[in-house]
Amino acid sequence: MRQDAPDDFVTIRNVTKKFGEFRALDGLSFSVREGGTLALLGPSGCGKTTMLRCLAGLETPEEGFISIAGKVVFDSAKGINLNPEDRGLGVVFQSYAVWPHMSVVENVEFPLRVRGVAPAERRARAMEILEIVGLTAFASRSATQLSGGQQQRVALARALVHKPALVLFDEALSNLDAQLREHMRLELQALQDRLGFTALYVTHDQGEALGLAETIILMNAGQIEASGPARQVFMTHHSSFAARFFGLNVVETARLAAPHAIAGKPFIAFQREYVRISEGVTGPGSDDLVLLGTIATRSFQGLADEYAIDLGNDVSVRVLDRSGAFSPGQAVSIAISRKDLFLLDA
Amino acid sequence: MNADPHLTPKKKRMTLQASLPLIGVGVGILLIIGPFLAGLIRSLLLWVGNDPQVSLANYSWLLTDTRIRTAALNSLICGLGAMSVSLVLGTSLAWIVSRTNVPGRETLRTLNLIPFFFSPYVGAIGWIFLIAPYSGLMQTSLGSLLGVSFEGPNIYSLAGVIWILSLFYTPYVYLFVISPLQRMDAAFEDAARVHGASFWTTIRLVTLPLLQPGLLSAALIVFVTSAGLFDVPLALTATKGIRTMPTEVFALVRYPSDLGRAAAFGIFITAITIVLTLWQRAHLSKRRYEIISGKGYKPRVIELRTTGTLIALAIEVLYLLTSVVLPVLALVLVALSPLWTGRFNPATATLANFSYVLFDYSLTRQAILNSLFLAVTGATLGVMLSGLQSYYLIRVRSGFKSFIDAILALPLGIPGIVLSLFFLIFAIRTPLYGTLAILLIAYIARFFPFATRTISAMLSAIHPELEESARANGATWAQTMRFVLLPLLRPALIAAWIMLFIIFIRELGASILLYASGTETISIAMLLLSENSVGYVAALALIQLVLLLTGFSLFRLTKVSAIQ
Ligand SMILES: Nc1ncnc2c1ncn2[C@@H]1O[C@H](COP(=O)(O)OP(=O)(O)OP(=O)(O)O)[C@@H](O)[C@H]1O
Ligand SMILES: [Mg+2]
Repeated sequence: MRQDAPDDFVTIRNVTKKFGEFRALDGLSFSVREGGTLALLGPSGCGKTTMLRCLAGLETPEEGFISIAGKVVFDSAKGINLNPEDRGLGVVFQSYAVWPHMSVVENVEFPLRVRGVAPAERRARAMEILEIVGLTAFASRSATQLSGGQQQRVALARALVHKPALVLFDEALSNLDAQLREHMRLELQALQDRLGFTALYVTHDQGEALGLAETIILMNAGQIEASGPARQVFMTHHSSFAARFFGLNVVETARLAAPHAIAGKPFIAFQREYVRISEGVTGPGSDDLVLLGTIATRSFQGLADEYAIDLGNDVSVRVLDRSGAFSPGQAVSIAISRKDLFLLDA
Repeated sequence: MNADPHLTPKKKRMTLQASLPLIGVGVGILLIIGPFLAGLIRSLLLWVGNDPQVSLANYSWLLTDTRIRTAALNSLICGLGAMSVSLVLGTSLAWIVSRTNVPGRETLRTLNLIPFFFSPYVGAIGWIFLIAPYSGLMQTSLGSLLGVSFEGPNIYSLAGVIWILSLFYTPYVYLFVISPLQRMDAAFEDAARVHGASFWTTIRLVTLPLLQPGLLSAALIVFVTSAGLFDVPLALTATKGIRTMPTEVFALVRYPSDLGRAAAFGIFITAITIVLTLWQRAHLSKRRYEIISGKGYKPRVIELRTTGTLIALAIEVLYLLTSVVLPVLALVLVALSPLWTGRFNPATATLANFSYVLFDYSLTRQAILNSLFLAVTGATLGVMLSGLQSYYLIRVRSGFKSFIDAILALPLGIPGIVLSLFFLIFAIRTPLYGTLAILLIAYIARFFPFATRTISAMLSAIHPELEESARANGATWAQTMRFVLLPLLRPALIAAWIMLFIIFIRELGASILLYASGTETISIAMLLLSENSVGYVAALALIQLVLLLTGFSLFRLTKVSAIQ
């Protein structure tokens, strides 16, 4: 058997999970270093939550190998499958799952209670962690009397109180409003620095993933589409799926009026921001890709206008422009620098 | 502009809209308060010679008489016993069919409900045929197999009563917990597991506490109904001198008749139920929380291994055998035998008992017709009354609503025999006495709250805008009711009707004090014949079961939950 790299704290190898005939996870492999943060990113239904549940032991994969902190928790070949309670994790659920029949502090001390920690000590430790998440004042409240953001802090405190080495977050921030989300993001990072756990985030929101994680795995239909350091995954695109997911314009080369301009690749992709619009038909600049089209719609986005530009042949692209100089119906040409253009095989 | 021709008719319609629901509420309150007052007054009267005097003598007798204390204690034992067994059994059955992959769970989900529609009285009779000491089918068939004669467990005991009550009230618990079990956000349990709780710890610390509101309601209903049920203790223990509160009430009315004392006892029982109901209301309103979150997974289905599957199936099969299959089998064998001797002889099997009770015996023939009449008329009137009350409780703005709601729910806890005792006192010197009408009124008064619950639950789920838009588009209130609300409410109305039909077909406690010669019902006829003609009793019981199961099948078709 292959030796895991020494810094692999969590190892996931060839995990396959089927629901009936449907492969929710299709031979997934990745690893996380100790103290690292990794985000599983992808569109709805791509299998992120399923992967997280397999890690937690709430779902049993058909195949694969999972080890956490040097302990094999699942191995289909050897028939190992640890119960969820024996994996020693912390999990923040998407719906928070704060128990309504317990008070805030009872919720938080639960992991200690089932581990047999004496009442006085567990109360003290729960209060300590409640102080960190800023909920000391709410300790004896019923969990049902909390706002969404407060419930999430309770869920977070509960996931951290027993000092787990690995904490899983399912859509940790997506139910919060923009301001609270930014606040929580910073708080989570501070907490991780302070407590030193390894974190795995699951999210469909690229901003959340980029802000929280040093490593990103982009998933598509149960498989890994791209992975690597956050910046790299965001900046380099190897597939039209990844480019589309990150909001780039993706155009089938065959549909363009001047296909000869792009050397032989079936797709091109470019950011909305990196397009220059000019009035009427202008000749090509030195090294630019120039395309002709008509403005279809214009919508005001604050700092800039977003235009939908019709390039003919059922091709439409979105372009951000700050001049405010164009209006629907107008014939324009757009230019994209070669360096801003991704040439994609699939 | 002062001669607007539309003004007058509009005013009239407003009155209709305001008055009809009020009438429903008024009739409901009268049906409860009237007999209650009659009972209260009667309990305070003592006849000295020919002059009635106001006195508390009946109550002081109540407090000192040991019979009453024994009966109360026996009822308490039956109530608590049946409550405990059905809580465990009902929750287990619900858990098995909603949370495990036990084979055939869809079918089992329906089968588990059949005992809910059965008559506990018929169940008790079936079980007497099954294991009456020495002569039960179990004893005779096992005995001839082993060549010995033996007594077997004593069904004529409080334990026997608890056994029968548990079998037939288990579905109450089952109904109360199955829906939260099915729809509870799985993350609540998952969160416990991943944070270190084992499977059983999770059940103890998370699942059961989350089910607590439903369990509490079910426990209270089972307790109150078991403690107040007349027919099962009558069938099993009354002849052995063991009385519970309802059979003691019966004894007080009959041997020798002392309506004053009986009334005092009835008032005492009513007071207990009121206290219990109020306590439950207060407790539940404190603990109302949502256990179903919008997003979230369906609860995880436990993949049972072989042992688990066998245990789960064994529990299911044992329950269905003991509650349905065995008692029905016993009834069939007895009904087919010309003369029951504790043994079934296929050679002499005959349908004579059925044809006799159906066609030839005027008592039973009339009883069947009476029961059908009471059930159909009663269910129809009851649903009309409950529909109006529900409209008032859900749609009309009023400051007294929660008070009225509490009053209208009172009969839920009052034993049928107590309510019919009050009706007896109320009607004894009027022409109503001895008619089917008084039975009908007592039935409706005792059971309309069930229908009101069902209809209210559905009505509160129908958005008022649906009616408002009809009104805005020019429909009158009556037209809105006819073309919009009633069609929308139809499933609940049908479900409520069927439920009342089923209850009325099998009711004994509310009839026993009010029937007269000519107004016997099926259950009364079974009671009258139980001394000497067990073949007729069995045949009647089976005919009643067929009527009940017809109701059950219709009920499945309407797909509306029985308890909301
Ligand atoms: N218990 C289940 N039974 C059948 N199919 C399931 C089950 N759980 C998940 N799936 C399917 O597996 C796929 C992956 O689901 P998963 O919940 O992992 O998606 P996700 O990436 O977390 O999506 P989202 O962002 O919407 O939460 C989906 O197509 C889903 O329908
Ligand atoms: Mg998900």
